[in-house]
Amino acid sequence: MKKHDLLGGLIWLILGIGLCIESIKLKLISGGFHIPGPGFMPFLAGVLLGILGFILIFSSASKGLRKDEEVKDEKILMKKDWKNFLIPFLNLLILFAYVLLLEPLGFLFSTFLFLFFLFKLSEPKKWLMPLVLSVSTVILSYLIFSVWLQCQFPRGIFRF
Amino acid sequence: MTGFLENFSLGCQVALTANNLLYCFIGVLVGTLIGVLPGIGPAGAISLLLPITYGINPASAIIMLAGIYYGAQYGGSTTSILVNIPGESTSVVTCLDGYQMAREGRAGPALGIAAFGSFIAGTIGTVILMLVAQPLSEFGLKFGPPEYFSLMVLALTILTYFSSGSMVKAIIMAVLGLSLSQIGIDLVTGRVRFTFGITNLEDGVGLVPLVMGLFGVGEILINLEESAGVEIFKAKIKGLLPNLKDWTDSIGAIIRGTFLGFFLGIFPGGGAIISTFISYALEKKLSKHPEKFGTGVIEGVAGPESANNAATSGAFIPLFTLGIPFNVITALLLGALMIHGLQPGPFLIKQHPDIFWGTIVSMYVGNVMLLILNLPLIGLWVKLLKIPYRILSPFLLLFCIVGSYTLNNSTFDVLVMLIFGIVGYLFKKFEYELAPLVLAFVLGPMFENSLRQSLILSGGGLSIFITRPISILCLVIALLILLSSIFLRKRRQIIAKMG
Repeated sequence: MKKHDLLGGLIWLILGIGLCIESIKLKLISGGFHIPGPGFMPFLAGVLLGILGFILIFSSASKGLRKDEEVKDEKILMKKDWKNFLIPFLNLLILFAYVLLLEPLGFLFSTFLFLFFLFKLSEPKKWLMPLVLSVSTVILSYLIFSVWLQCQFPRGIFRF
Repeated sequence: MTGFLENFSLGCQVALTANNLLYCFIGVLVGTLIGVLPGIGPAGAISLLLPITYGINPASAIIMLAGIYYGAQYGGSTTSILVNIPGESTSVVTCLDGYQMAREGRAGPALGIAAFGSFIAGTIGTVILMLVAQPLSEFGLKFGPPEYFSLMVLALTILTYFSSGSMVKAIIMAVLGLSLSQIGIDLVTGRVRFTFGITNLEDGVGLVPLVMGLFGVGEILINLEESAGVEIFKAKIKGLLPNLKDWTDSIGAIIRGTFLGFFLGIFPGGGAIISTFISYALEKKLSKHPEKFGTGVIEGVAGPESANNAATSGAFIPLFTLGIPFNVITALLLGALMIHGLQPGPFLIKQHPDIFWGTIVSMYVGNVMLLILNLPLIGLWVKLLKIPYRILSPFLLLFCIVGSYTLNNSTFDVLVMLIFGIVGYLFKKFEYELAPLVLAFVLGPMFENSLRQSLILSGGGLSIFITRPISILCLVIALLILLSSIFLRKRRQIIAKMG
């Protein structure tokens, strides 16, 4: 059984039902008798999504897997594999922190921090290389984006 | 004929200005670059550069973005041949014989014939596009809302049929894309839909943050996870020019690949990818020594590499004649056109001849640039492969953030992009294909409007879709495809074989 398909199917089924309920609130038919309203299309999409989610649940539960598929399924859900999530997860954390700090700290300073941590993440043992790379990239991106392309960036508390 | 010459010279006037030559060059350069780098594809690159195109005129924007598209097909073969890793999905087949040629010390001719084949195919493809697009757009004028609706149903059906994983999941992605496109103000009634009180969402989810998240951030996260060291072929590359025997061996393959690629490129879904597989199979069948395929035969490189380039020209046909994109890249180009306030459709060529003819002429120029970029400068691209991905990825991420921030100078778009980055990462992880989602998202508003207009035309009856010949034809084909995917288990094997 493909566990992640079962879970996925459930999510789509719930999403489909939610979409239908919201669409009914929007009115399926508007004004005149036969004119589809704002909820018409989302309702259709919701019904379709629900049916497809149901199919996915059904097929993931009933169908035996071929051997190679079984191996693949194991691989996706294996505990060991969760370690692999670590790097993307840390990257995402840094990304979100960057977005939150962009306005208070200003573009230049927050970009420096962002790049420094990302480079440090990929070269944990070195100090000089991440520092040089991030400082030079900040200067370069300032020249390209702010001077040449004239983008407006937040200046933050340091006024630069 | 005089009309044609007039148009062509108009195209020259547009494409040959210093400004547009520069944009064309940037496009093909970026295309080659991302073609060589396995971590990022043309969809990601185009979405990265979309914000830059806001400030320039639409013709220049399309010229540059189209350059990325066909440029990537050139670059993709380089890594296939030298590293046995396809830079693009359309260069998978090139690995089979290209890498073997490199191991035999014939990397030069392999790269050379790939570049020349791409050049010939790209040029012939552009000629055909130029000749057939205008007459076909006259045909497009016959399309009313019901025809558009049925054609879009067919396009999405074919796309999901050819997606590599489960077709149910692909259709789910298409439905999801459609639903996402409905967020924001309903154009007909003015009602606000699915914004959950967030005012920023009233204009809808932006195409750029969506695509940048899915194809940019999502892809980068996936690649970070599996970034393994790449072994680069160390032997020196010499003699890039194929000799006479190489030419006589491969010229037939190039011509056949060109027409095959162009024709299949018109259709939705992975026309370009499929054409490379068919071209390889065809050459093997026609060959006097089929048993040698897979051991380094030059036809095995020339055919598919020509096919994937010609397919990019073919893909422009539905975009320029009907205003409907059939794959993700042309969907992004459509997005770029709409951002500039242009209404794509059968009238586009007539109303904005500068855009169509300028793009055509720029494609000739771009192919020449690519030939120069890819033959003498090949050593440079190989060096690029040595940059580890984890050093490259922070730059790509920075570009995604800056790009989405500058859209409206707000962090809201950046957040939307990051959310789609996570979504894209998870979808990839759990084997959901992203192409149907993006295509449905772009087609969404058109899809909904054509359905609603059709129903208004017919007074609520569904018969309007089956009494019009073009519409019923599309729907019947779509139905047959759906039925065949349910009853023929073979599809699975074919797709599985294609990898």
